[in-house]
Amino acid sequence: MNAITPSTSLLPARAGLGLKPEHVGEILDTEPDVGFFEVHAENYMGDGGAPHRALGEIVARYPLSLHGVGLSIGAERPLDTAHLARLRALIDRYRPRSFSEHLAWSTHESGFLNDLLPLPYTESTLRRVADNVDQVQQAVGRQMLLENPSTYILFEDSTIHEIDFLERVAARTGCGLLLDVNNVMVSAVNHRADPFAYIDRFPVERVGEIHLAGYDETMDGAGDRLLIDAHGSPVSDDVSALYRHTIDRAGPLPTLIEWDNDVPAFPVLLAEAARAEAVLDSAKSWRDARLARRA
Amino acid sequence: MNRQTLALALAGSLVSAFATTAYAAPLPAEKMVGMEKCYGIALKGQNDCAAGAGTTCAGTSTMDYQANAWKAVPAGTCTSMEVNGHMGMLKPM
Amino acid sequence: MDQSAFAAALLDPSLPLPAGVTCARGEPDATRFSVYRNNVVASLSRALGERFPVVRRLVGDEFFNGMARAFLTVSLPRSPLIFAYGDTFPDFVAGFAPAAALPYLADTARLEANWTRAYHAADATPLPVERLLAIAPERLAGIRLLLHPAVALARSDFAIGTIWQAHQAEVVGSVIVAASESVLVTRPTFDVRVHVVPPADGVFADSVLRGETLGEAAATAFARHPDFDFGHALLGLASLGAFADSPLQGDPA
Repeated sequence: MNAITPSTSLLPARAGLGLKPEHVGEILDTEPDVGFFEVHAENYMGDGGAPHRALGEIVARYPLSLHGVGLSIGAERPLDTAHLARLRALIDRYRPRSFSEHLAWSTHESGFLNDLLPLPYTESTLRRVADNVDQVQQAVGRQMLLENPSTYILFEDSTIHEIDFLERVAARTGCGLLLDVNNVMVSAVNHRADPFAYIDRFPVERVGEIHLAGYDETMDGAGDRLLIDAHGSPVSDDVSALYRHTIDRAGPLPTLIEWDNDVPAFPVLLAEAARAEAVLDSAKSWRDARLARRA
Repeated sequence: MNRQTLALALAGSLVSAFATTAYAAPLPAEKMVGMEKCYGIALKGQNDCAAGAGTTCAGTSTMDYQANAWKAVPAGTCTSMEVNGHMGMLKPM
Repeated sequence: MDQSAFAAALLDPSLPLPAGVTCARGEPDATRFSVYRNNVVASLSRALGERFPVVRRLVGDEFFNGMARAFLTVSLPRSPLIFAYGDTFPDFVAGFAPAAALPYLADTARLEANWTRAYHAADATPLPVERLLAIAPERLAGIRLLLHPAVALARSDFAIGTIWQAHQAEVVGSVIVAASESVLVTRPTFDVRVHVVPPADGVFADSVLRGETLGEAAATAFARHPDFDFGHALLGLASLGAFADSPLQGDPA
């Protein structure tokens, strides 16, 4: 009856927040009504101590989304099997409702570069990414979501549109997609594309989660606008509008507010979540009214 | 000190230490705090402030990557650290 | 695209942009590529600054960031576990010529590295102190106690514990650094604890943490400090959580 609810996520179609260590005490004390919490997998790959104790307490109260930032799915070198084993152990221990990673690379022979680096969209990178997504899903024993990147450059040898690239990886591997609406805005402005057209073309039926964040703005060498995916400020007005457009098209989807730098007091994050939740609520009322008319 | 003497000395020393600390009777592990008060100098840290960096998928617009030619001298609180009575020891490199 | 060339250009701003990089205008733009260079350097420098906040305060942000840049170009993280990045930073600081005027800096970094390792170490119940009394006297010297996963010791010719403590406050007063200190880090439950232990006990703890038997470690400590009090030292270390609960293994040899 509800074709727009994706099978790709068990997260509630509500607003969630990134879990920050400095907020854990307040969250456990006040148990705010937050749809879910998301953590970066690598921050919980220590052997023990306070991080695991905190995450255990959170998981006992809230749905969890696990977001990896270090798998380097687009790397030319093979995936790190030790890292896959750590991911598997984390997933088995905390049973997150969703596991996601990025369409990017970050490892190299010289080490881990700690940034989400861009890929040319070619047939050979598509094969490599799809093979790696297969391997990840086998290793962790569940479906993953693959996130669209924010990028600052293009590659001359790209031959595939980013949306087609993501859709073909998803079709071949059965993975779901994570649609980062801020990344759509950042990349569209940076590459002179239309962000609304991007959303209109995106295979929203494969989307299991949405990300929202704030960007910074600067200029490139020619004075063109250059947006930076900075996660250090409220969601901007243009991204909020693009988000409403996305939800209008896709229906209510689990939506994360990402705020990783200059993390504010927890109530500021709650207010950001409430803004997204209002968009989701209006989409839900609209959907319910439509279903009621049909009945 | 031969092995036998050492063994006895160590055991005696341990028994004596137990006898002279704040408690003589066996205590559960969580009560060990009594001993801590009289052992070593406890330094207090700011809880989790040094928990180590977390990963993030965020970028930054603070451009500071280019300073390869760099002539900085230490200019933090090291000037308050007295080495052999001399305040600081800073000179340009 | 060749990711090796891309990675090399990220780490060395004097290299040209990698072949094949372009933008919507159809030409390479160095400012755009520099966003990636900046993300790598800034994020890793920040990670080091968050793990070594006292070292950062000691030298100031500008010096620290320069030192971090110099380190990361030769020592990128070996894994995506960023909280573990910088295990080799103290050694790098020790050999970093511009910091040579601050002889306590590397050991302070060692203490901070130990703190973070303890924070993330495996959980383990500390050895209850009264279990020490259950050891047969003739076996005591041959025992190797199981170390707690979080325990670590930093020994220095300088007052690194006092320096560390002074930098937990917002205002840092004057510190006399020319005093040797042995600083033990433990984590009996979830809170990391930092203790300056007596000099003789520092020698003893150092030997024990290296895997020596209690007898070997005691002999080492006695040789350096004739007034070494074995019982007090062992009980003290155990009470701070240096050892993990386990069946006690003897070494009858």
